[in-house]
Amino acid sequence: MHVATVPTYLDDRGLDQFAQTLASWPPPERLLVDARGCKWSSPYGFASLLTLGQALAEARAERPRLAVPDSEDVRSYWAKAGFFRHAADLFELHGKVPRRQPDEQSDVLLPVTPIRVTDDVHTVVDAVAQNAARILTTELGLESKAAARFTMTFSEACQNITEHAGTGGWVAIHAYNWRRRLGRRVVVMAISDAGVGFRRSLEATESRKFGDRWSDGTALETALIQEISRFRDPGRGQGLAMIKRTLREWHGKISIRSGTARLAIVPPWDEDVPLAEHLPYFPGSQVQIVIPAREGSPK
Amino acid sequence: MIQTIHLDRVLREAVPTPYGDLVTRPTGAAVRGHIQRTMATAARGALTRLDFSAVRLIDFSCADEVVAKLLLAFDPAADHYVVLHGLSDDQAEAIDHVLIGHRLAIAALPVEVGQPVVLGWATGDDRAVFDAVQRIGGGDTATLTRHLAWHAHRCGDVLASLAHRRLVRQAAHTFLPLVMP
Repeated sequence: MHVATVPTYLDDRGLDQFAQTLASWPPPERLLVDARGCKWSSPYGFASLLTLGQALAEARAERPRLAVPDSEDVRSYWAKAGFFRHAADLFELHGKVPRRQPDEQSDVLLPVTPIRVTDDVHTVVDAVAQNAARILTTELGLESKAAARFTMTFSEACQNITEHAGTGGWVAIHAYNWRRRLGRRVVVMAISDAGVGFRRSLEATESRKFGDRWSDGTALETALIQEISRFRDPGRGQGLAMIKRTLREWHGKISIRSGTARLAIVPPWDEDVPLAEHLPYFPGSQVQIVIPAREGSPK
Repeated sequence: MIQTIHLDRVLREAVPTPYGDLVTRPTGAAVRGHIQRTMATAARGALTRLDFSAVRLIDFSCADEVVAKLLLAFDPAADHYVVLHGLSDDQAEAIDHVLIGHRLAIAALPVEVGQPVVLGWATGDDRAVFDAVQRIGGGDTATLTRHLAWHAHRCGDVLASLAHRRLVRQAAHTFLPLVMP
């Protein structure tokens, strides 16, 4: 049994710590994901854990075990976020799992939801569109007329799974306070898939230009910075361009982790590095979009 | 002949979802196929109005599939015109953006603008002549040249370009608007 320890805080940075404890991919022995000491997870953390379970299932690895958090409050929040409902299909759960249903009327704006086919994108987009105006005005202090742009951003991000991953994935949206990092409320969208990753997706069409430099990092730059898709069609790549433009206006942040690299478009309020390479490997691709509340908004 | 295609209805017929949003490429491709089949039944010289007024949202990927690829697939020999109706600001913006990426343009009547505009790839001259044709209800090159106080060849070149891109309708030497506000 190989033990991978979930850090106390499982967010985009915490995932790197967690991936380090995976040691190799696929793990040489049956995996135990030890979340007992975890105090908090972002939607990115939930989607990534489910991605791990999915990737192991698709690699025909032995069904991993997951030791649930010790804290009752934490377990309750994970249930509210919809995590356990899906984790039960992918992990052998150890510990007390609350029966609480996912809650769509709280700071969990969209519980963790699987995306496998186009219809799934319609379903989550519809759910988000119905609440988008409320999310923007109450959570972020933005004008409700920006609701369509918010929903489009999410729709385009979700389609990264159905168009490029070659398998399914997971999405979630939460709102919470980023006291230490920003001092404001944020809405965080997480989109994670267990697919081939950006490097393999773009390899056939783009790797020759880079030669020996072709890597997870250069593949991410090709997609996010140069807006190049594996499809030759000139209409492709515009979804990411739209997301970037919207986030620029809203001072938001997008980061994409794929394989061993993470690339971010970093707004002035954040201290992240634009490109982190040689990270511990994690399967698939993980996208995080952070939209901060407008400065001076009541919350 | 004017043919109106309500995109909310097409969406419901083309894809088996109960939702009212034009999102994803497969959905856009299915909707475009439906539009193309409907347009194929129209008479020569017909104008097709694509009515977005009951559509909540169109994302960039779907706009690319529905509008840009519809224009790219146009048969140059077919005398057929398309105008977009009932667009919200966000829908117009998404369509404008994807059309610029393809160097395409289309005439549209956005709800909040209240008058016909060109969405997509168009120069300042293109837009000025398009607006002039709308304003005076059409005319020949000489009429529009006088109206704009331009040189005749400048106005003539732009009118020919607009007619070629089906942003105005040419009948002999006269250029007519596709749609009146």
